[in-house]
Amino acid sequence: MKKIPAIHALGMGVAMSLAAGVAIPARAAPDKLTVVVTDEPKSLDPCDTDLSGNSRILHNNITEALVNLSPKDGSVVPSLATSWRQVDSLTWEFKLREGVTFHDGKAFDSSAVIAALKRAQDPALACEVGLATLKGLKLNAQIVNPTTLLIKTDVVEPILPNKMSALDIGSPATPGDTKTRTPAGTGPYKLVAWTPGQSVGLAAYEGYWGDKPTIPNATIIWRAESAVRAAMVDTGEAQIAYEIAPQDGTTEQDHAFPNAETSLLRIDAQIAPLNDKRVREALNLAIDRDGLIGTIFHKDAQKAMQVVPPSVFGFNPDIPVWTYDPEKAKSLLAAAKADGVPVDKEIVIYGRIGIYPNSSESLEAIQAMLADAGFNARLEMLETSPWLKRLLKPWSKDRQPSILQTQIDNAEGDAVFTLPNRFTTDGNQSTITDAGLDKLIADGTKATGEERKRLFQQAFKYIAVDAVNIAPLFHMVTIARVAKNVNYTPDVQAGNEIKLKSISYR
Amino acid sequence: MSFTYFLKRAAFAALALAALMISAFFLVRLTGDPVNLYLPVDASEAAREAMRVRLGLDHSLLAQFSDWAWDILSLDFGVSLWHNRPAMDVVLEALPNTLALGAIALALAFTAAIVMGSIAAVNAGGWIDRGVNVLSQAAASVPDFWLGLMGVLLFAVTFSILPTSGFGGPIYWVLPVACLFARPFGTLVQIVRGSMIEALNATFVRTARAKGARDGRVTFVHALRNALLPAVTVTGDLAAQFAGGGGVVEVVFGFPGIGKLLIDGILKRDFAIVQASIFAVAVVIFVINILVDMLYGSIDPRVRVE
Repeated sequence: MKKIPAIHALGMGVAMSLAAGVAIPARAAPDKLTVVVTDEPKSLDPCDTDLSGNSRILHNNITEALVNLSPKDGSVVPSLATSWRQVDSLTWEFKLREGVTFHDGKAFDSSAVIAALKRAQDPALACEVGLATLKGLKLNAQIVNPTTLLIKTDVVEPILPNKMSALDIGSPATPGDTKTRTPAGTGPYKLVAWTPGQSVGLAAYEGYWGDKPTIPNATIIWRAESAVRAAMVDTGEAQIAYEIAPQDGTTEQDHAFPNAETSLLRIDAQIAPLNDKRVREALNLAIDRDGLIGTIFHKDAQKAMQVVPPSVFGFNPDIPVWTYDPEKAKSLLAAAKADGVPVDKEIVIYGRIGIYPNSSESLEAIQAMLADAGFNARLEMLETSPWLKRLLKPWSKDRQPSILQTQIDNAEGDAVFTLPNRFTTDGNQSTITDAGLDKLIADGTKATGEERKRLFQQAFKYIAVDAVNIAPLFHMVTIARVAKNVNYTPDVQAGNEIKLKSISYR
Repeated sequence: MSFTYFLKRAAFAALALAALMISAFFLVRLTGDPVNLYLPVDASEAAREAMRVRLGLDHSLLAQFSDWAWDILSLDFGVSLWHNRPAMDVVLEALPNTLALGAIALALAFTAAIVMGSIAAVNAGGWIDRGVNVLSQAAASVPDFWLGLMGVLLFAVTFSILPTSGFGGPIYWVLPVACLFARPFGTLVQIVRGSMIEALNATFVRTARAKGARDGRVTFVHALRNALLPAVTVTGDLAAQFAGGGGVVEVVFGFPGIGKLLIDGILKRDFAIVQASIFAVAVVIFVINILVDMLYGSIDPRVRVE
C-alpha cells in the first residue's frame, strides 16, 4: 500500500476536521434575539436583583415586581399590583393583578408576595434586595384576600412603593432556605437554561398576562472585550451589545444613553490637607471637565454638580457646576499653605480598574491637572476588592490623605437611595460627619412631596457647596450597539434592565 | 520506565502537590476578604459580619486551615462563592475544554515547527531559512490578545468566515487555536532549527550519507529523531503552561476554560475555585511530566529514566 507522506496526512486531517465542523455562525433569525453583556450573572435568584448583572436578565423578563418605575420621570407605575394606597403612616395596601400565573403553573396571589418578602428579608439567605434596598426596614405583610395585601412597616416609609419596585416575586415553589439557579417568575420570558460560562436562554411565556413579546427566543451571552461585543453585532451573532467603550462606539449603530450613574471623586475630608475647605475647592477648580468630555469621557456625558442625575427626586438644579480655574486653585493652595496647612503632603488618588470605560486614563489626566495646580498627587489603580476596602468603613486613623474614584448609581429615582450611606455620620461609605446634614437627610427620608424634595435639595447643596467633600465629574452615558434591523432604544434603566419584551425586528 | 520509578515520581508529586495547596491556601487569603465583593455596597456591617461567620472567615487562620485541610483530604474543595456550586464540579467542566484547546494548538504547533524548522535547517543561511526565521520570531513575540482581536476583525467581521467568539462546534475553535498556536510555533521552530543544524553536521549523519541513505531519510529519520529531544522538553513545558489555561485568549473569545475560570476566581476572591483549579492543573502537569519522560525513552532508546 502506498504510504501517505506525513505532511499530506496532516494537511488532509486539518482540512477534514475543518470541513466537518464548518457551519455558518449563528446569524440573525426573526424568532431569535441575542444580547451580549459584559459578565455572567452572579445569581438568577429573584431576590438578587439589586446587582445589575442579575437584574438585567431577571427583572421584567423572567420575574416582575409589584410596581415599576417609569424611565421618563421615576414615577411608580403598575405591574403585578394594579393599585396601592397608604392606609396609615405605617401601612400600605396593594391590590394585585388577577389571572397571573408563574412559569411553573402556580397562581400569583398575596401568599406569593409574602413568600418573596420573607425570602428577601431572611438574613440567612443574604438576598441583595434585603441587604440594600430594603435595608433597615422591617416589613410585615398580611393577606386581606388573594388579591389584596397589607404591608406594615416598622418606621414611616413614604416611598414604600418605590422600594417594592426592587422586590421581584418568584414562584411560591422557590426554595425558602437556599438560592435558586432556576427561577420561575411571572414575566414575559421563562428560563430555558443557564449554561454556566456560556449563556442564559429564554423563551416567551405563553401564559404571560400582558402584551406578548414579539421575539420568541432570547439568549444572553457575555464577552469581556468591548471590541468583541461590538464585532458580534456587526457579524450578526448578536443584535444588541452593551457597554461599548467610547473608542469602539463610533458607528451610527451605537446609541449613547444616560445610565443613571454619576462619576465623582470622593474627598477624604477628615485628613490634612484635605480637611481644609480651600484645598478641596482648589481640587475642584483644578479639574478641566470640558477637556475630559469628548476625549476620555463620552461626548454626551453631562457635567455634574451633584451626585445624582436630574431624573432623581431631590435633584437640585441651582447648584453651580465647577469652573476650570487653575490660577484660583493655585491661590487657594497658597493661602492654605500660608495658614500652615500641609498642602505639599502627598495625596493618593485611588482608582478602580474598569469602573467605567477609560477609568485609568481619566485619572491619569486628572492627576496631571492636579499637579499643574500645585498638588502632590500619586495615582494608585486598584482592582475591585482592595478598592472596596478604601470605599467602605472601617478605615485606619493613620491613613494617607486620599481621593477615591467612584460612581453612584440611582436608577430608583429618589435621593434616599443615595444619601444616607454616603453622606451621614453612620453611613458605611461616608467621609463626612455633620450633625446638621444628618438631620437634613433624616428629615427628608421621612417627609413626602415638596417638603421631601426641598430637604433633599438642601442636602445636595450642602454636600456640594458648603462641605465640598466631593469632586463631581459627569452624569454618565453607556453605549449600546444595536443591529440595524432591530427596533430598540435604550433608556435610563437599560443598565439594569434589558426590556426584551419591547424589542422587535424591523 | 519502571513501576517503581513511577511510584517514586507519584510520591514526589504528592509531596509537591501538598506544598502547593498549602501555599495556595495562605496566598489566596492574603489577597483579601471576599465579603465586600459579594454583598451590595449598601449592606450593613452586621450583614458583612454574618457572612464572615457563615463562611468561617471569623475563625483564626490556623482554624480555617485545619478545617480546609480536613476537607481536602476527602477531596472536598468546598462551594464556589460566585457559582454557588461545588467548586470541583465547576473546574471539571472547564478543564477538558482547556486541555483540548491546548492539546490541539500544541500538536499543530509541534508538527508545523518540525516541518518548518527542518526545512530551515536543511536550507540554513538561504532565503528560505531567513523567511522562516522572520516568521517564527514574529509568531513567538506577537501578543495573544492583539492576535485575537485582529483575528476577529479579519476573519469574523471582514470576511465573515469565522465566528467572533463563543463555544460550540469546531469552527468556534479555529481562532482560539490559531492564537494559542502562534507562540509555541515560533519558539519550537527556533529550537528544531538549531538542533537540526547540529544533528545534520553530526558524524552519524555523514555516515548515513556515506552509506547511500537518501536526503529525505537522512533529514527526517536520522537527524530529526536526534534533534527532537530539546523540542519535546520545551513542548512539555509549554503543555504545562497551557494546562493552566490560555488566560487572555479564553477571555477574549469567551471560551469557557480553566484559565478564564482561574482569572475570574482570583478577581472575585472565590477561594474554593482558585484552590480547586490549582489542584486540578497541578495533577494534569504531573501527568504531562510523566508522559514527557515516557516519550523521551521512546524517541531515544539511550535515555532510560530510573
